[in-house]
Amino acid sequence: MRIVRSGVTVTAVTALSMFALTACGGGTSEEPEAPAEGATPQAAEIRMWVNGGDTPQELRDYLVETFAEENPGSTLVIEEQDWNGLVPRLQTALTSAEQTPDLVEIGNTQAPTFTYAGAFADITDMYDELGGDKLLPGFVEAGSADGALYAVPYYSGARAVFYRKDLFAAAGVEVPTTLEEFTAAAIALQEANPAGTANFSGFWFPGQDWYNGTAWIYTHGGDLAVQDGDRWVGALSSPESQAGLEEVQALFTEGTRAPRDADSNEPWVPFNNGETAMFSAPTWARWSIDLPECNKGVDPEDTSDEATALRGEQQACNEDLTGVFPLPGLTSGEAATVFAGGSNIAIPSKSGNQDLARNLLGIIFAKPYQTMLAENGLIPGNADYTAALGTDVYAGAALAAALGAKLTPPAEKWADVEGDRTLEDFFQKVAAGGDLAEAAAEADALIESALN
Amino acid sequence: MSAATAAAPPGPVRTAPVVEGREPTSTRIRTRARVVRWLLGTLAVTVSLVWVFPIYWMVSSAFLPTNRLRTPSPTFFPVDGTLSNFRRVFADPTFFASFKVSLAVTGITLVAAILFAFVAALAVSRFRFRGRKSFIVTILVVQMIPAEGLFISQYQMLDGWRLVNSVIGLSIVYVAAILPFTIWMLRGFVAGVPIELEEAGMVDGLSRTGAFFRITFPLLAPGLVASGVYGFLQAWNEYTLALVVMTDPARRTLPLWLQGLVEANRATDWGVVMAGATLIAVPVILFFLFVQNKMTAGLVAGAVKG
Amino acid sequence: MPASSADRAFGPGTVAPATPVAPAPALPPPPVRRRRPLRSRLGVYLLLLPAVVPIAVGLGYPLVRQFVLSFQEYGLAQQFGRPAEWVGLDNYRTLLTDPYVWGVIVRSVVFCLVNAGLTMAIGMSLAVLMAKVGRAARITLQVGMLLAWGTPVLATMTVWQWLFDSQYGVINWLLAEPLGMTDLRYHSWLIEPLSFYLVATVIVVWMSVPFVVFTVYAGLLQVPAETMEAAQLDGADGWQRFWRITIPMVKPVLFVVALLQIIWDLRVFTQIYVLQRAGAPTRETHLLGTYIYSLAKEFSMAGAMATIMLVLTLALTAFYIRRMLREEEL
Repeated sequence: MRIVRSGVTVTAVTALSMFALTACGGGTSEEPEAPAEGATPQAAEIRMWVNGGDTPQELRDYLVETFAEENPGSTLVIEEQDWNGLVPRLQTALTSAEQTPDLVEIGNTQAPTFTYAGAFADITDMYDELGGDKLLPGFVEAGSADGALYAVPYYSGARAVFYRKDLFAAAGVEVPTTLEEFTAAAIALQEANPAGTANFSGFWFPGQDWYNGTAWIYTHGGDLAVQDGDRWVGALSSPESQAGLEEVQALFTEGTRAPRDADSNEPWVPFNNGETAMFSAPTWARWSIDLPECNKGVDPEDTSDEATALRGEQQACNEDLTGVFPLPGLTSGEAATVFAGGSNIAIPSKSGNQDLARNLLGIIFAKPYQTMLAENGLIPGNADYTAALGTDVYAGAALAAALGAKLTPPAEKWADVEGDRTLEDFFQKVAAGGDLAEAAAEADALIESALN
Repeated sequence: MSAATAAAPPGPVRTAPVVEGREPTSTRIRTRARVVRWLLGTLAVTVSLVWVFPIYWMVSSAFLPTNRLRTPSPTFFPVDGTLSNFRRVFADPTFFASFKVSLAVTGITLVAAILFAFVAALAVSRFRFRGRKSFIVTILVVQMIPAEGLFISQYQMLDGWRLVNSVIGLSIVYVAAILPFTIWMLRGFVAGVPIELEEAGMVDGLSRTGAFFRITFPLLAPGLVASGVYGFLQAWNEYTLALVVMTDPARRTLPLWLQGLVEANRATDWGVVMAGATLIAVPVILFFLFVQNKMTAGLVAGAVKG
Repeated sequence: MPASSADRAFGPGTVAPATPVAPAPALPPPPVRRRRPLRSRLGVYLLLLPAVVPIAVGLGYPLVRQFVLSFQEYGLAQQFGRPAEWVGLDNYRTLLTDPYVWGVIVRSVVFCLVNAGLTMAIGMSLAVLMAKVGRAARITLQVGMLLAWGTPVLATMTVWQWLFDSQYGVINWLLAEPLGMTDLRYHSWLIEPLSFYLVATVIVVWMSVPFVVFTVYAGLLQVPAETMEAAQLDGADGWQRFWRITIPMVKPVLFVVALLQIIWDLRVFTQIYVLQRAGAPTRETHLLGTYIYSLAKEFSMAGAMATIMLVLTLALTAFYIRRMLREEEL
């Protein structure tokens, strides 16, 4: 893809101003000089950091090849980093002109901190070219500071609810169509315990699982924190949030037997063990479902045709027994506002290959790559290409959930709230049956002191 | 220690079974001593078993497919287990690459740290000089300061020398981190050897250096082994500094490699993690057994030859 | 020095090193307070140089910088070039006027003393045990200890988490199934601070004891057999020999180990951090190590906390250090 950079800046800034605080676009003084129109950037090897195994190998190969084709003489090296320990790595590597990668993937909740710190180059002028208002808005907001754009959405994964069809049938429970029905279904399933296992849960909802719990707050119109002039204030005490939390508490008390000292990690384990009828996770959790009824005992390293066929059979069997639906909203027919996970992508300000990095960003946001992301089950940064997600139930659920999904508040210091684990502690108190108003007031105070 | 102690004849410098000096002569007492010894042996083995249980659990998990690791009734014995997890570690080329990096970093760190620390420990415990006390106190105080925030300065320093992503660079910070402790430990061990022993040797015509190497040094062997094991483990298992210094996936150390198996967004194959961890622990045991036998035996032999 | 106390206890002449070159049947009676050879020459400093340079560069400079930063406002933005502002003692004031911080300090000190005490007691007992048993039992114990010490922490902490897991933990299973305490079948160990610290203590002691065992055992091995024999000839029984010779001779080592345990247990981090993430209420279970880490994005604040911890550690160990310095005078 050829990158045309002339004359987009003004429109980009106008578009940005719709969501950003101030409308004055302007880059930092450190921004490298853009070369004259039509000049080819000097050939170099550039490095891109992607995190974990989320970007499939096929996509990486595509980027390397396409980049080399479009930038003769230059090469792209993709280095995989771990999500665990990413922040200390970024804290150090991004400050070094020598070591910094030229393009970097960053978790959406980490993005505001680094964006405000000046770690990334201003790419406001690329806004339209990268997708404009088709870019997932919450992620754009997370990657913007003071009216300028620094990090753009890479992909998103929304949460959907997985359930055992046979258990639903045995308990005579229908797929819920409203949030209220969902709670009732969880309670009914738990009471019926159609699986007959000990400690059976209707819905797997561990005490610290704020990732899922936040959906009730958002759906009822509440928020975790809101901006009030120059300050951020905690919003868990608002009547909307409290309404959502009341339902959360009911679910904790009657709809789950998940431990209170656990978080949202690996919810498929109890599901596979037959100890819960439902769990909520990003839709890629489908690959982790491994019901004993379906397990063919194939050695994971066996690559023979036979083994591959058996694995296919196993997956089909699992998906046959398992259904998936987006968490329903307040009224029938609409989806809940769930918490979106995913990542942003940005050009570090210290990178010496700004132009090549911009070219690569162009490749990532062009149709072919966005389509490939979607084909691999990730919601691409540009909402125009979600059609490629396919039409199966997973894509349907993911899309329904993703369209309304919401991120954490785009506060500069939001990462501190996560570092303090304020929300984990808060939901644990809710799960323990604590007084909602009291717990919320306490958590609000902590959020406020962290954000300001 | 054990092998050497058991094998050595009533030799030049004997290390003592601490509390019992020598076998009592009477048969009755000897029988009683044997029973006591047997009971103590049983106690030691029992303690070992309790201590090793979590490790046993790790190894046992390494032989199980991940979907059997966390189930309502635990699997205590992986009788129908699988070697698949281990095979997958061995099929992973990055495991061997990381193994080499770890080996190099640990080797350099260990040799440098033990050598420098030994010499320094000697200086502070066998010589008087101006600044000696302040040196000792500084070495101690340095260890009291929490180091959670140091990695940033250390990174910037290495970056300035272009030593990020380099085995040497990582080794330098490791040596710096291990040295204060090692000096302190060795100082304790050197101080534990009465100087009178050396002086006696000198009275008998040995030079100061000769007396030191013939008499004191062999007695320090256990201390060197203990410090060596400590240094080895620190360098072998360190995570935080390696995390920021070795960002190139081709230069990961083993702890980084292991952490890389833990997925954040997907299902982690815990069976493979446990197999990997088991394999990482093996060199530690080998190193220890090797050092303990060779070194002690060698030193005692050297003393005999002298 | 221990050697001297041994001398005082048993009189001169009992220390008889029998090297092949030095049969030394008769020793000149060593003066009780013998001065160490005084060699204050440049050579000594040369011996220190290889150690001083890496410490000064790799540790000293970053520590000094951390201290300087504690008087500034220095966070992520400053790393990317925003100038750091001097704030004097503000960071210290913020921390020390926060009652929560004091709570963390008190908890940490208690946790440290309990853990260091337990670790030392168990570690010393096992070291003596190790010295008294036969070869096979000794190697079993050594390898067992070494495995606990040397296995990657990521794996051991994951296993500990599994063992104490509410739903699938082996501990709960053992308590409920064979032992019949069915109400503990799904017990949440981490949710109450006290039981959280109990679990943390088990793990911390489990991980720290091997170091104490190895080091103290090494110290025990240093005691020359001849000294023991001489004492035996003087009529000292096993117990007396242990207290009057062994203990004084390994005292420097015990000293160092105890001091290090206090230092390490006061800033215990990994175990607490992992257990918190396993599902404990974070704010109620913070100790100094994890609390500093939670401040780490504000390096200046973390630096100030580090200085406070240094003062605290010095206060806790002042007794030891003073004694040590006094003994250094000998």
